[in-house]
Amino acid sequence: MRCVAIFAAAAGWIFAPISVSADEIDFNRDIRPILSQNCFACHGFDDEAREAELRLDISDEAYANRDGVTPIKPGDPAGSEVWQRINSDDTDIVMPPVDSEFRLTDGQKQAIKVWIEQGAEYSAHWSFVPPAKSPLPKVPAGVQAANAIDQFVFARLAAEGLAPSPAADKYTLIRRLTLDLTGLPPSGDAVLAFVKDNSPDAYEDLVDRLLDSQHFGERMALDWLDAARYADTNGFSIDGGRHMWLWRDWVIHAFNTNKPYDEFLVEQIAGDLFPDATPDQLIATGFQRNNMVTHEGGTIPEENLTNYNVDRVKTLGEAVLGLTIGCAQCHDHKYDPLTQKDFYSLFAYFNTLSDVGLDGNGGVNPKPYLQAKTVLQTGEEKQLRRHIARLKERLASPPDKRLTAWEKQQQAELARRDEGLELLPVKLLKVSTPNRGAGYEIDGDRFVHVTQPNGMAAYDVLTKLPTTSQPINGLRVVFHPDDDVPGNGWGYGPKPRARGKQKVKDPQKGSFVLTALSVSVGEVPADQVDLFRLLEAARVTASIWKPENRPENCLDMRNENGWSPPLEHGGPVHLTMTFAEPVNATVTPYLTTQLNFGSGNNLIAARMEIFAMTGADDGSSLTPDVITALENPAARRTEKQQQTIRNYFAAHSPQMERTRIDLANAEERLAVLTREFPTMVMNVAEKPRETFILNRGDYSQPTIPVSMTTPESLPRSSEQQNNRLSLAKWITMPGHPLTARVYVNRVWQMMFGEGIVRTPADFGSQGEWPTHPELLDWLAVDFVESGWDVKALVKQIAMSATYQQSSATSAELLERDPQNRLLARGPRFRMSAELIRDGALKASGLLNDQIGGPSVNPYTPGDLWREISHYGSTPATAQTFVQDHGNKLYRRSLYTFWKRTAPPPNMAAFDAPNRETCVVSRPTTNTPLQALVLLNDVQFVEAARAFAERILLREEDDRSRLQWAMLESLSRPATEKELNILVDAVTRERNRYRDHKKAARALVSVGESPRDLSLSVEEHAAWTQIASTILNLSEVVTRN
Amino acid sequence: MNTPNEFLEQQSRRRFLANSAGGIGTVALGTMLASAMEQSASAEVSGGIPGLPHFTPKAKRVICLFQSGGVSHVDLFDDKRALHEYAGKEIPPSVKGDQRLTGMTSRQTEYPVVPPLKPGKHCGESGAWISDLLPHTQTVADHLTFIKTVHTEAINHDPAITFMNTGNQQPGYPSMGAWLSYGLGTDNANLPTFIAMTSQGSGKNPGQPIFSRLWGSGFLPSSHQGVGLRPGANPVLYLANPPGTTREQRRDMLNDLARLNEARAEELGDPETVTRIQAYEMAFRMQMSVPELTDISDESPATLESYGPDVHRPGSYAANCLLARRLTERGVRFVQLYHRGWDQHIALARQLPNQCRDVDQPSAALVKDLAERGLLNETLVLFMTEFGRTTFSQGKLGDPSSGRDHHGRCFTCWMAGGGVKGGFEYGATDDFCYNIAEDPVHLRDLHATLMHSLGIDHERFSYPFRGLNVRLTGVEESHVVNDVFA
Repeated sequence: MRCVAIFAAAAGWIFAPISVSADEIDFNRDIRPILSQNCFACHGFDDEAREAELRLDISDEAYANRDGVTPIKPGDPAGSEVWQRINSDDTDIVMPPVDSEFRLTDGQKQAIKVWIEQGAEYSAHWSFVPPAKSPLPKVPAGVQAANAIDQFVFARLAAEGLAPSPAADKYTLIRRLTLDLTGLPPSGDAVLAFVKDNSPDAYEDLVDRLLDSQHFGERMALDWLDAARYADTNGFSIDGGRHMWLWRDWVIHAFNTNKPYDEFLVEQIAGDLFPDATPDQLIATGFQRNNMVTHEGGTIPEENLTNYNVDRVKTLGEAVLGLTIGCAQCHDHKYDPLTQKDFYSLFAYFNTLSDVGLDGNGGVNPKPYLQAKTVLQTGEEKQLRRHIARLKERLASPPDKRLTAWEKQQQAELARRDEGLELLPVKLLKVSTPNRGAGYEIDGDRFVHVTQPNGMAAYDVLTKLPTTSQPINGLRVVFHPDDDVPGNGWGYGPKPRARGKQKVKDPQKGSFVLTALSVSVGEVPADQVDLFRLLEAARVTASIWKPENRPENCLDMRNENGWSPPLEHGGPVHLTMTFAEPVNATVTPYLTTQLNFGSGNNLIAARMEIFAMTGADDGSSLTPDVITALENPAARRTEKQQQTIRNYFAAHSPQMERTRIDLANAEERLAVLTREFPTMVMNVAEKPRETFILNRGDYSQPTIPVSMTTPESLPRSSEQQNNRLSLAKWITMPGHPLTARVYVNRVWQMMFGEGIVRTPADFGSQGEWPTHPELLDWLAVDFVESGWDVKALVKQIAMSATYQQSSATSAELLERDPQNRLLARGPRFRMSAELIRDGALKASGLLNDQIGGPSVNPYTPGDLWREISHYGSTPATAQTFVQDHGNKLYRRSLYTFWKRTAPPPNMAAFDAPNRETCVVSRPTTNTPLQALVLLNDVQFVEAARAFAERILLREEDDRSRLQWAMLESLSRPATEKELNILVDAVTRERNRYRDHKKAARALVSVGESPRDLSLSVEEHAAWTQIASTILNLSEVVTRN
Repeated sequence: MNTPNEFLEQQSRRRFLANSAGGIGTVALGTMLASAMEQSASAEVSGGIPGLPHFTPKAKRVICLFQSGGVSHVDLFDDKRALHEYAGKEIPPSVKGDQRLTGMTSRQTEYPVVPPLKPGKHCGESGAWISDLLPHTQTVADHLTFIKTVHTEAINHDPAITFMNTGNQQPGYPSMGAWLSYGLGTDNANLPTFIAMTSQGSGKNPGQPIFSRLWGSGFLPSSHQGVGLRPGANPVLYLANPPGTTREQRRDMLNDLARLNEARAEELGDPETVTRIQAYEMAFRMQMSVPELTDISDESPATLESYGPDVHRPGSYAANCLLARRLTERGVRFVQLYHRGWDQHIALARQLPNQCRDVDQPSAALVKDLAERGLLNETLVLFMTEFGRTTFSQGKLGDPSSGRDHHGRCFTCWMAGGGVKGGFEYGATDDFCYNIAEDPVHLRDLHATLMHSLGIDHERFSYPFRGLNVRLTGVEESHVVNDVFA
């Protein structure tokens, strides 16, 4: 057999068979990629781009004699113009042309020559032909195949003269399997139990158990969320918030209940078109509403709608069909037989929605959307209700000790009120607001005077502090009644809203809601509040407030709440912020205050005056009745007064904050499981839009009208082609050449790190040739035959000996097959961002394993959103980051709020996509920023601290503790060498912290979770460093 | 041609194998590790892809001063007599044409011409007209090349700024800096290759939102995305050690970590672990190099003064300009500033002077500073924006709330250094600076020119994605503006 290893190079980057023998030349594998990459751009499918009227992608044209010249003459390279041209030294003649970016290597030329010699046989592109099961190859004696997968893989290995690697040890196997099927590492106990279980079914039992886990659905959903470009914001421009988590719940549920993949797709593409569509089926259609949308003023709705539908077609192509059909938006596809007409015929299916081109502002979903309940049924309600009752009970009868301590503190603060208080006028230098050039002024050096309200507004007021050596302890804003506003009130709102034919009246007394207050100081004047030097507030008080509009509300930067005085109060009102650190006016004399009136409805103040404060605030955030009660010695209080204090303590004291957070989180969770929430869906408009082929993809250049049809070069279904339901049925018809192959390939990719086709979004002629084509086809057919049974597919792969191979490798094998295309070893890859964070949370014991529900905002280093957003100038939500608390900090990472223009930085560092467009495979990088996240991010430091606590609570010696910790995080026993290194490290860190209690305390205070106070601070700190070391091990973030 | 991944894999394999005498099981990974670390510690690591640059570059590095929101070329750079003659009168229909306007002015009934807000001067040898709103820029005119005919098809912010930064109006594509990071690698392994900084404008606060995709890596490996540099204790996110953790302690921990990782990598034959150990070492070095970079206490009072008073306010445009110079000195390939607030639809008369004050002195100081330090010839400075603004008024003429709408048909960007001519103007607009009269420069041409300055042939610099060899300049024709080079 003549082996031409040269072909490996010949095929270039498209595919790299390890070696190909000349008598096995295969057009699709060996020749098409060369032609596609180098020739088809000008001599392929695209009419418009075709040169010399020559097509090389179909045999009839390539063989045809044209005025005595034959491009390809089968069996006769010398008589083939193609060979003459590619082999020419003449720069005027040679192909590809010298001025193009394409070059053929000698190997590629040689391959074409051999192919012509052998008869230049063409065949249809493999992925456009329905798959068929080929007979299972035989594996050589001595090689044990567990199932069909192994027969394909091991037979190929044998042909290459290679043997499979031995099975991985049981430690590795349970870790690999648990990570792949649930996205979490196994606990140390689970590892030991599995290792001890010698029954022949131990492995299969484990597979079944993991497939039954509720985390299976989360793991599978993760990849689908990337493909479906799921996110919690609209994406374009202002990037306001949206609500789509019900759809995410649906996906998790679908995987957990093993919904057949064909139904999974049909419901997502056309659930609304079922005769009696259930709410669940409507929720499912959110899949094609996950695209980005805009409400940027000035954009043109028709253009936006075109973009949305283009994205839907692209996503359908890449996520479901494995086709880069997006390439046919502006012209026929250059490489695959997809016309521009095909593109717009698919576009037509989605162009019938009633969505509008500018929509989705103010946190309200873009239309169409509906209110629905989550499909998840977790059975938590009963337990949640009990939990809620317990928490309420705890708030109703707070611990006396804490209450007394708080009372003392409050009494002391009340006594300090007014101490040395002086209110010093500041010099008003400038006022501005983003979207108005007028309608406000500086009035008489004293007042910021708003003369024209504009719905909502934020005013930045630059002032110069008085020259004083006294520390400036805070600032007071006085809101004066104003003659220009209704009823001589303080503000302009609420703006009356017309109801029916009723006459609209101004409010009797105009008022305002101060939704946020931010203050910064500097050495030089800053027109706008300096986001990098915001002053922290120790407290905020007001002269008076409505119960629902307490003064401290304005420390929450969102528009949803704020401070507002009760209307019945007369005269000026004021708000006072005491700074956490006093300001030295001689060093930083310029103070900028941003007053945000974000409620809308003209709830904007009219006349404001700012003072710098020295001494202590004379106000209190306590209500007058509480103050009266507190001023009474405990013994003389009435029971009613005591109750007033207790209620206030429960509702507002920092001591009870954790309980309040727990209660709020539990109540929210109960609501999530029992109430209805909005989610975007698909529908058909009353008057659906017409679809045209758009010249060059330009929305303003419609040409020929097209109707809904599936691509011409792919097999058609017998069904009528008149709506999305028929599209969905076509996609899932059993003989579809792409759908099953594409999904099987992605499940394979999830478990092997790479697919059988390593370009999972492109099964076209520019895509890579499958490493195991017969295996891919066998799996695809089998998948359809199984009834599109996803769990069965996962199990089939997991049960194969191929999957269970050890990933340890030799230099020889690494050199022979660096990318593991032959699968002679188990796959090894760095875990995805979500798995890395979830793994750390699991080790820490902090992981909150609730499934489903709205997205959460765990720790982020500062308000990264506000730095780039339209904050203060829009009713859109998600413009300012507000961190969650309590158990919401420890949800699995697929629930982290995804703001597309500023995705969570600790996940982005690990290659998580921004979810703007469909992604079916993530890159895997290895960067210093990743090291910084794992070493320093609060989330990971706290995880180490909590992990250390779990370690310390084991009453064992250092060595045994370390053994346990390594097993818990690496799923394997530690080696002696490792233990020695770590034991030394424990001793070193212990010595280090022995004399540095302050440092120790600082470290164990990282994160909001409570720590076990029985543990020595120094010991805990030392072990936190060790836990962090372990969580930073390369192996911890690697799936072996 | 290899895929980048294959290339990287080959590289790491080659390195791996070069260092292993026998089988992996027996090789002392420690030795190899030491040598790999020595390599990267030398701080002169190039990276990039083979074959680049294609030819001798004029510039080694780029500083892009991106003015987000749309700078008014009419007010600042492109005064025409007709603007004064027609002041307050309707722009001639033959000039306005029938191309699309944004939804903000498309329903106006009148389109009166508004002359530049302030007078200006013809500066330097070229006599380029620069508004008196930019007095410092006027003084560096002889360093600058003005391109008066940049144009774009996009007429709204999101698509336009995405187009300008990634060559595509829709998301998903790598930014300019990511392309250069991928193509050329770095000159300093102790700092990121591509740094992005943002600042708020005084003209309009907040300005139009900006997005991480503007400095994102698109389909390129995410290691090429711009790393944000911010004021405060963590100039790079997560840079600072946790409280109660000293640098010495971190060193000890990294030593432990390396020993543990090394032992395991030997057992498993895992070259990726070696790369990870190096990444941790670089992170450790960054913890020194970044604070050193952002600490400007070693700058002379004269230098500080030249950037203007805002230089003392970390996070301001001025402070970022100074940091840009410091980054450039340290070999960072691509530094990009985003200054927000250039979106003068309303209250142009009030907003524009503020906005100009933000950027004028620092931008000019940066050019001078680079020139004085001999860095300008190897650094290309680009002052760019996503589109210009309309000749006609948005809103009622004379109303303090009036301004100008977006205008993509022609606008001005300037370049300095990097082999670019000083005191030069390229291209010309019509009498109303509304249409291009000669030498149009599409934003793709600007990209091609930028890459040319760095020794890259834009047509031969691509990345295979979804079956295409994708380029920053895309599939449409684009040309290097050769005339701008000296």
